[in-house]
Amino acid sequence: MKFLRRLALALCATLPVSTAANAVEITFYHYQQGNLPTLRAILDDFENANPGIEVRDVFKPSRNITADVQAALAAGRPVDVATVIGKNIIFFLNNTPAVPMNVDGDAAWLDAYLPNFLDLGRVGDKIFAIPHAYGTPMIYINGDIFRAAGLDPKDPPKTWDEVMQTARQIKDRTGKAGVAHLHASMGDYGTMVMVTNAGSTYLTKDGTKAKFDDANGIAVLQMWQDLATSGVMPIANDRQWSTAFQAGQMGMYITSSAALRGFLKASDGKFELAVANYPLWRDQPRRVNNSGGALMLYSPPGERRDAALKLLKHLSRQDVSNRWSRESGYMPVIQDPKADPVMREYIETFPYVRPVIAQMAETVPTATWPAEGTLEAQTTVRAMLDELWAGKRPAAEIVPEAVAKVNAALAPNRGTN
Amino acid sequence: MTAVGTATSSAGAHAPALARLRRALGGRRFVPYYYLAPMVVLLGLFTYWPFVHTVYLSLTEWNLRPDTPLEFVGAANFAEITGNRLFQDALRNTLIYIAGSIPLKVLLPIPIAVFLWSLGPGGQVYRSVIFLPTLLSFVVVSVVFLWLLNPIGGHAQQFFALFGLSFPNVLGQPTAALWTILLISTWKIIGFNTLLYIAGLASINRDYIEAMRIDGAGDWAVLRHLIWPLLTPTTFFVLIATVIFSIQQVFTPIDIMTEGGPANGTTNLFYMVYQYAFVVFNVGYGAAGTVMLFVLLLAVTLIKVRLLDRHVHYDQ
Repeated sequence: MKFLRRLALALCATLPVSTAANAVEITFYHYQQGNLPTLRAILDDFENANPGIEVRDVFKPSRNITADVQAALAAGRPVDVATVIGKNIIFFLNNTPAVPMNVDGDAAWLDAYLPNFLDLGRVGDKIFAIPHAYGTPMIYINGDIFRAAGLDPKDPPKTWDEVMQTARQIKDRTGKAGVAHLHASMGDYGTMVMVTNAGSTYLTKDGTKAKFDDANGIAVLQMWQDLATSGVMPIANDRQWSTAFQAGQMGMYITSSAALRGFLKASDGKFELAVANYPLWRDQPRRVNNSGGALMLYSPPGERRDAALKLLKHLSRQDVSNRWSRESGYMPVIQDPKADPVMREYIETFPYVRPVIAQMAETVPTATWPAEGTLEAQTTVRAMLDELWAGKRPAAEIVPEAVAKVNAALAPNRGTN
Repeated sequence: MTAVGTATSSAGAHAPALARLRRALGGRRFVPYYYLAPMVVLLGLFTYWPFVHTVYLSLTEWNLRPDTPLEFVGAANFAEITGNRLFQDALRNTLIYIAGSIPLKVLLPIPIAVFLWSLGPGGQVYRSVIFLPTLLSFVVVSVVFLWLLNPIGGHAQQFFALFGLSFPNVLGQPTAALWTILLISTWKIIGFNTLLYIAGLASINRDYIEAMRIDGAGDWAVLRHLIWPLLTPTTFFVLIATVIFSIQQVFTPIDIMTEGGPANGTTNLFYMVYQYAFVVFNVGYGAAGTVMLFVLLLAVTLIKVRLLDRHVHYDQ
């Protein structure tokens, strides 16, 4: 009895603490696990600067976050700011009550972002998503393998032809795997980057039609097939390639800049790590799709929306955004990051980030998928890659067939759009 | 004395109230139903109602938005799913997973269990060793096998290289990848099924074996005419449970190791349902896939019951 009385008193004592401030609580869904201390520190700074607002961060793994946000919205649980994987943004715009960020009140804060980074969440004049955890693909290089193959890691390959040549030399002289290019979930992002950079169109802007069966698309995918059939790229999946690269078993691995922190840690004391820009395709300018997630706003009108917009504005501040980029390893998303002295020093003293900075202006929005036929279309892309790598038929036969199947699967969306 | 008297009178005062309550609740004949009620309510709430709702969702098109009405589309979801290649590949693979599970997960543990059982108490260590994989997380197991089977310097590759051989890229070929996943799930679950068989064997009276031995029966005769028939109830249970769960058991290795590839070579209906419902958020397709999966498992189970139940010896 005495225990129960004490418990009741203790509970009563806690009540004023949680309600006294009458703070507005906003919920922020994210997938930052390793970077959570940095994110939380930024959110804590925001709370300190805005005593009436509390930010509850909700972690969900990146592979599940889209489904979890969707489930929370469907169940009516509070979602104010949500990290949404780029390729799902059109789906979210069509199927969730997302709020445009530039309709009510001041929208000048959005000008801080690079315009090409806002394109992903732009529908007409409205902005529904702002960049937050963007990555860009780049070449990671094992300097020790390069030297063993008679190559100079300070003179990395710049074009796909040079990548192929370098990979062959590594394979021939060291016996190790030459190169691999991430495919990502369902082969979607990897194929997208490769064909987009080659000057082809992976998906139309509305996501309802694939168009990478043109000459450039077929040629670059033929090159991916050649990498596999020549043996310089062992057929595996992203996890296996990543593990092999980190174990010092592969000369080059082309994957997102988001992997940088992990690769630096893995290579420490094991091999020399170098990085280079994503390779150019023939005479085409470099065009790389961003990977990662953007922030969307879901707060209902009122004090929660005001608080959430305040948070988004805080995150868009040059010093905050650049700090997030520096400490997390994600791509800077604010215009002219070098204008910030801290960022300038960081770029000068941390050479691994240079390809990321160089590719900021060359970034194009990740292709987004529509509501219907997406799974069938994505499994077709994945199966196309498997068939390409098996090397039984040339890309000129495989790719047009795959594109036709993707377009057949996406056909229902074209009728409604 | 006073206290006892008070207690007695208090109990006496409550007796008519209890009797009235019992009468109001329908008397003794309803008591078993009251005991069952909590479980029935829980089952109804968390199993049968979701199933009924899933059937309903399978006939609709909906984007999960509470403010959006469900559009009734009849059997269109079923027709569209069954018409696509992904479903056909998933169905074919599901049947292979089921068929492959029977020799590997149902029959193979029997000789292992008999062997361990014959060791008596001395077999405890082996039982623990064979049961250990069951306790491991399937996520961990999948990641470890990815390392082992990595075609670039994986442990299998390194081991084969010692003999000048090259380990095949088993996850790069559709058929090999499917059987690799099936074998990994077998390794994971075989200890559990072996344990079930050992429990079944423990219920066999050893006097019967002694009697057969005295009559001159050899090991094979004892196994064929005594152990096997008396083990049929366990075998039947293991068969039903393995077939139902084998599709779920391979979900994690599919998701982590192959994502259903290469070329849809390892996907199954369970994984397809997950992709429809939680990757592309097509609620109608996900629900339709779930209903078809339910019908398939129900049909397979009913066929097994029909064909095998008569061969099961429940009496010793």
